[in-house]
Amino acid sequence: MGTIEFIIGKYNYWVYIILMMVGFYAMIAKHNLVKKLIGMNIFQWAIILYYVSIGSKKGGATIPIIQNGHGEVTHAIEAAQYLNPLPHVLMLTAIVVGVSTTGVALALIIMIYRRFHTLEEDEIIDILRAPNK
Amino acid sequence: MKSLAFIATIITGALLIFATVDFPDWGDPNSPASLHVSPRYIEKTVKETGVPNMVTSVLADYRGYDTLFETTVIFTAGITAVMLIRRPRK
Repeated sequence: MGTIEFIIGKYNYWVYIILMMVGFYAMIAKHNLVKKLIGMNIFQWAIILYYVSIGSKKGGATIPIIQNGHGEVTHAIEAAQYLNPLPHVLMLTAIVVGVSTTGVALALIIMIYRRFHTLEEDEIIDILRAPNK
Repeated sequence: MKSLAFIATIITGALLIFATVDFPDWGDPNSPASLHVSPRYIEKTVKETGVPNMVTSVLADYRGYDTLFETTVIFTAGITAVMLIRRPRK
């Protein structure tokens, strides 16, 4: 297998890994809590895009809706004609979980801001370590 | 600390990219994800559920309980957010 074919076959995974690492770096290196949350969302979306890309099939496959599928279906349905529907379904579930975790995390961030009046992690740690409070 | 985080990110990304060498090519019709489990749903979904859209049939019919309790997840998250944000009455 040549180098060009290798790159064409694998480059989509590399794009998702780069996106995922952008989110990972934001999660572990940034000090602002909102930026950390945005990093977590980028991480989640990289994984979702990766799973959806697994469902693709080259060679004439179309979206996972049976053509002329209403009423009595008599024509043969071949698996190679349609994209893989299962990653799409599972990632729908993952989107729901991602929205829920984002909502709860934003509520927690609002509570942290109300108590400390800052969202910077190091400033919060300084306030917590202050001796007279 | 930031350089340590950057090094950890680079090492993790390099390991993941190294793992993609063993993956099937993008869009390969003969990849394991396209050959196992999913053909059964594609071929029998109209016969068993009568729904032409496969995503809908799997989401609402084969995995109906999963979708039902997904609403519980959203409900719990919403209740949690309301309980956190609400200021208690004095």
